[in-house]
Amino acid sequence: MSENAIAMERTRPNIDLTDHAVTLVIVCLVGLVMNTVGPAIPLADGFVGMVVIYLITMVGLLLTRFAPFYLPSVAWISLVGILATLPWTPGSEWIVAQAKSVNFLALATPALAYAGFAIAKKEIEVAKHSGWKLALVACLVFLGTYAGSVLVAELILRLQGA
Amino acid sequence: MNALRGQLELWRLHLAVIVLGAIAELIGIQKIPLGIGAILLLPLLYAFVMAALMNPNVMPKFGKFIRQKEVAAASPLIVIAIMPFIAKFGTTIGPAIETIIAAGPALLLQELGNLGTIVLAFPLAVWGLKMGREAIGATFSIAREPNLAIIADRYTLKSPEGTGVMGVYVIGTLFGTFIFAILASLFASADVFDPRALAMACGIGSGSMMAACTGALTEVIPSMKDEILALAGASNLLTYATGLYAGLFIALPIVEKLYNATAGKNDIATANKKEA
Repeated sequence: MSENAIAMERTRPNIDLTDHAVTLVIVCLVGLVMNTVGPAIPLADGFVGMVVIYLITMVGLLLTRFAPFYLPSVAWISLVGILATLPWTPGSEWIVAQAKSVNFLALATPALAYAGFAIAKKEIEVAKHSGWKLALVACLVFLGTYAGSVLVAELILRLQGA
Repeated sequence: MNALRGQLELWRLHLAVIVLGAIAELIGIQKIPLGIGAILLLPLLYAFVMAALMNPNVMPKFGKFIRQKEVAAASPLIVIAIMPFIAKFGTTIGPAIETIIAAGPALLLQELGNLGTIVLAFPLAVWGLKMGREAIGATFSIAREPNLAIIADRYTLKSPEGTGVMGVYVIGTLFGTFIFAILASLFASADVFDPRALAMACGIGSGSMMAACTGALTEVIPSMKDEILALAGASNLLTYATGLYAGLFIALPIVEKLYNATAGKNDIATANKKEA
């Protein structure tokens, strides 16, 4: 998994758009089930919302594939989502209203389920081999990174008096 | 239609995700009260744990329904499953563009706060635990994919530095969502910090870390849900843009210099003794 991720990070992947389009339909349908079961959003509303999310994702993937410069797909998808919902974009109010029918945590649930199924032998070995020292260091890495960001943001917000 | 056939052949995997995901959603968000605050348990955490328990690599005895074939197929599916989630986050940023611009300076500069890992983790690794050059790879960043690429490029992943970054990467993959849910719960219930600062800091890691972090935050401060999602999403997007460069040009050089100036001297001394 990590090796693939590194390769993706550095070169423009030749993404197969048909393949992604089909897989995304399945992933969105799975997400729609979560959206209906957990946050109890009416299926019809959630469906339209999910279609909107699907289209934003696909436009992002098209840009990843064909834009004159390379950005990771997640960055393109995020940018398309932003542009589609800016107040001065025509029709953005409608898009925002539809997207509200999709719960963000419900979309994360299937992603984490796939992640649980994807744990490879090698990852278990690395975790065991690294031992408690590296685990302890990792916890402090996360704490330090989070706390550092909070403190800097807090300081600047206070200086701004906002 | 090969793509469709390929996915339908993975019906076991998708079915298992639907069933476990639905169970996780039905359990819903649970609060565990602690002295200082509360820790929030989110459906995404249960989904991950239940899926891991069905994974033949984690629980070899249960490896009947989910086989190595499904395990191999699940890895690229994580990337695709996170895409709609990222799109949803994008749609929370657009309407809040004024909030984002108002918070612009804080949003940009909090990226430097990521260096906090050096302040906390490096001393523990080098002086507390007496780690060697693994400490360089382990403590210079939050160890997501761009940072792996930096170490792979400079030292290779088989070097001590590579062992360090891989260790933190794997622990982040396995436990990152839990750690971030706990961090955000505790920071938010401490009621000291501006929720906007807590939200921005949620964007420093991977998509699933952001999900866990913002999930916990919005549960503690539901009145600011829209703002929290928008700021976290904007911060995460910035991390994609700046993370690689901040790691390569700021964090890694600092950690290397620190290491060479302190523990590295001992390494050289021991090496000289051996030669003599």
